[in-house]
Amino acid sequence: MQVRDYLLRRLALLPFIMLGVSVIVFTLTRFTGSPVGIYATPNMTAEEISALEARYLLDQPIPLQYAAWIGGLFRGDLGWSGVSVAPVTDVIGLKFAATFELALAAGFIAVFAGIALGTLAGVRRNRLPDHGARLFSIFGASTPTFWFGLLLLVPFYLWLDWFPLGRSTPEIFSSIAHPTGMYTLDAVLALNAGAFLDAVRHLVLPAVVLAFGAMAIIVRMMRSSMVEAMSEEYVDAARAKGLPNKVVIRRHARRNALLPTTTVIGLSFGFLLQGAVAVELIFRWPGLGQWVTSAVLSGDQATIMAYVLITALIFMTVNLAVDIAYAYLDRRVVLGG
Amino acid sequence: MSENWLLKVQDLSVHFHSPRGVVHAVDNVSFEIKPGETLALVGETGCGKSVTARSILRLVPEPPGEYASGKILLSQDQDQSIEILSAPIKAVRAIRGERISMIFQDPGKALNPALTIGRQLAEVFGEHRMDMILENAGIEPDKASRADKMIAQQRASFLQIRLFSLLRSKKGKALQKSIDDAVARALADTGIPNPRKIMKSYPHELSGGMKQRVMIAQALACDPDLLIADEPTTALDVTIQARILELIQEMQKRRGMAVLYITHDLSLVREFADRVAVMYAGRIVETGPAVDVLASPQHPYTQGLLGAIPHRRTPRGQLAAIPGSVPQLVSPPAQCHFASRCKWAAEACKSVVPLLNSTETSRKVACLRFDTAEKLSVDIGDMPARAEMGEVAAE
Ligand SMILES: Nc1ncnc2c1ncn2[C@@H]1O[C@H](COP(=O)(O)OP(=O)(O)OP(=O)(O)O)[C@@H](O)[C@H]1O
Ligand code: SF4
Ligand SMILES: [Mg+2]
Repeated sequence: MQVRDYLLRRLALLPFIMLGVSVIVFTLTRFTGSPVGIYATPNMTAEEISALEARYLLDQPIPLQYAAWIGGLFRGDLGWSGVSVAPVTDVIGLKFAATFELALAAGFIAVFAGIALGTLAGVRRNRLPDHGARLFSIFGASTPTFWFGLLLLVPFYLWLDWFPLGRSTPEIFSSIAHPTGMYTLDAVLALNAGAFLDAVRHLVLPAVVLAFGAMAIIVRMMRSSMVEAMSEEYVDAARAKGLPNKVVIRRHARRNALLPTTTVIGLSFGFLLQGAVAVELIFRWPGLGQWVTSAVLSGDQATIMAYVLITALIFMTVNLAVDIAYAYLDRRVVLGG
Repeated sequence: MSENWLLKVQDLSVHFHSPRGVVHAVDNVSFEIKPGETLALVGETGCGKSVTARSILRLVPEPPGEYASGKILLSQDQDQSIEILSAPIKAVRAIRGERISMIFQDPGKALNPALTIGRQLAEVFGEHRMDMILENAGIEPDKASRADKMIAQQRASFLQIRLFSLLRSKKGKALQKSIDDAVARALADTGIPNPRKIMKSYPHELSGGMKQRVMIAQALACDPDLLIADEPTTALDVTIQARILELIQEMQKRRGMAVLYITHDLSLVREFADRVAVMYAGRIVETGPAVDVLASPQHPYTQGLLGAIPHRRTPRGQLAAIPGSVPQLVSPPAQCHFASRCKWAAEACKSVVPLLNSTETSRKVACLRFDTAEKLSVDIGDMPARAEMGEVAAE
């Protein structure tokens, strides 16, 4: 089967899966109680509250409420976000951009550093780099994100004051336009070096903290698949051709070792989204994680549902991307067959 | 060429450090290969054939492996020779694939599954025939840019090649064509039909026999002086085995290269090899012209092997006829390794290591029966006479 056909089929399936997710999310959320509290004020009368309920169809049966919600979704209306005091659709783009920028930065760090360290450990098996990498991944896999975040905050923020909290310095933020909502990218588009540096300074610490856990997993996987690849006969055969060590390792061993690692990279992206919640809280990063946390605390159902929907969409997109990368790396893969 | 040898292995010992102790995989092995001849290295599984072969290209992984002693000399022009185990790695790389090539037991494992056949062959030319690639593309080697060389060596990434051929499309295309031509010629040379199509395939798209042909084409791409064939047909269908061997033989005749042919199948040695070296538990126990050794084996182990050669009914290549099993190679005692399985074993065999001694011109055997008792100062008293042993073997 051609990669392109497979892709089209997966894409065609996507709306149906999303529909299923939306039904489940909506029903489960509504079972936790009526969301009217987020719209009401303490001094409202009982009549005023029933009027509010009638206005948001909360007095109707749940299937009808769902129909109204999903109908709104197609019109670009996901309800009112109580925690942001604005329509969900107005805010969600910004929140997504913030988390996406953070996750992307963390993903880059985790993938590139993880592959590099894992490769080194696999090639120099049972020697110093390998022991170092092992220590690193044990530490990374067993350290809770929030704790590691605090651990870095104390020296780099409290004592040295190298990296600030939040996403940007207010004056700098207002000095450039924000078409993408990803501040580093916005700064590049505005050709503003100062703004770029400011965005990066804010981004580094949370990204490193977020990357840590995922990187630990990638290092371990890369190391073991590299050890396996190095013992393959085609690696000896490549040496027997007279190729230099670097080429043998990169083109012959690492390329094949990347295969099993790709799957792990996809999985660890879920890890990133999860970890983002803690990291955003600690570093005051105004992204989806921080948004949904306050929504959960105040029973803001419209926000929670929007968060679950967008997270599901991200997961499916990432899975698809991993499958494509896998097909590219391994020519033997026959997708969907 | 010095004294008419191409490769000389002297007292080679290779150890592996394992948790159980030091494995003496190859133990004081010496042999020579003359230009153009075929030397067969035979012996049971685990006796150290592959380790010996890999040592010649310095491919034994260190650690856990270690070249404990010995020299491997490859003759060069003007009576010079290079010692492979101590040479700088760059010099060794220049030999690999250029003067000495190797083909492996299982071509399915020896070809990289993620690269096209064409790319894998192109690597050899990029490494050893860069000037030819450049010249055929109309680029003078001394005037070639770094980018030209990177493309010739396949070192440039896909993106770089794309960018390069976009910017200077004529040169980029010429280089690619020059590489493709070289690869296609190498494949066609080995009798592979439709080389342009094979080049674009991935290994999993080819049959086992075709893969081994590709391996041979790759090994012979630079016209080596020595081809090491480590059980090149064991992993293939019986019907294809003969054709692969014929191909190797034909290529050898055409190019005059020497072949180190490793097998545990003595019946193949007869039709294929000029000389034979029989290995047992890390040591060579008998060498000589293939015809002579097969007709009148002198070492009891060789005799056992020959007794185990299949006649009509027994399956091919089985050596089970010798009772007992190969001794373990961890810290082996100083004795004849074959003593525990040898019909003629005497007390003396358990206290000395028999060395390879000439028995006739061009034949050598490592067995106390063929050592002179005076030299050894041990009692070999009730051992059967040489003639008797020969008779037993002839039965
Ligand atoms: N990488 C390695 N690490 C540890 N021990 C090894 C290694 N490679 C080979 N050995 C040991 O060296 C000995 C000889 O192995 P070798 O592969 O040379 O045998 P062989 O004669 O080629 O056998 P076969 O017919 O099965 O290919 C074996 O006992 C094996 O255990
Ligand atoms: S030395 Fe002794 S044990 Fe070894 S092969 Fe000869 S006769 Fe047999
Ligand atoms: Mg072997």
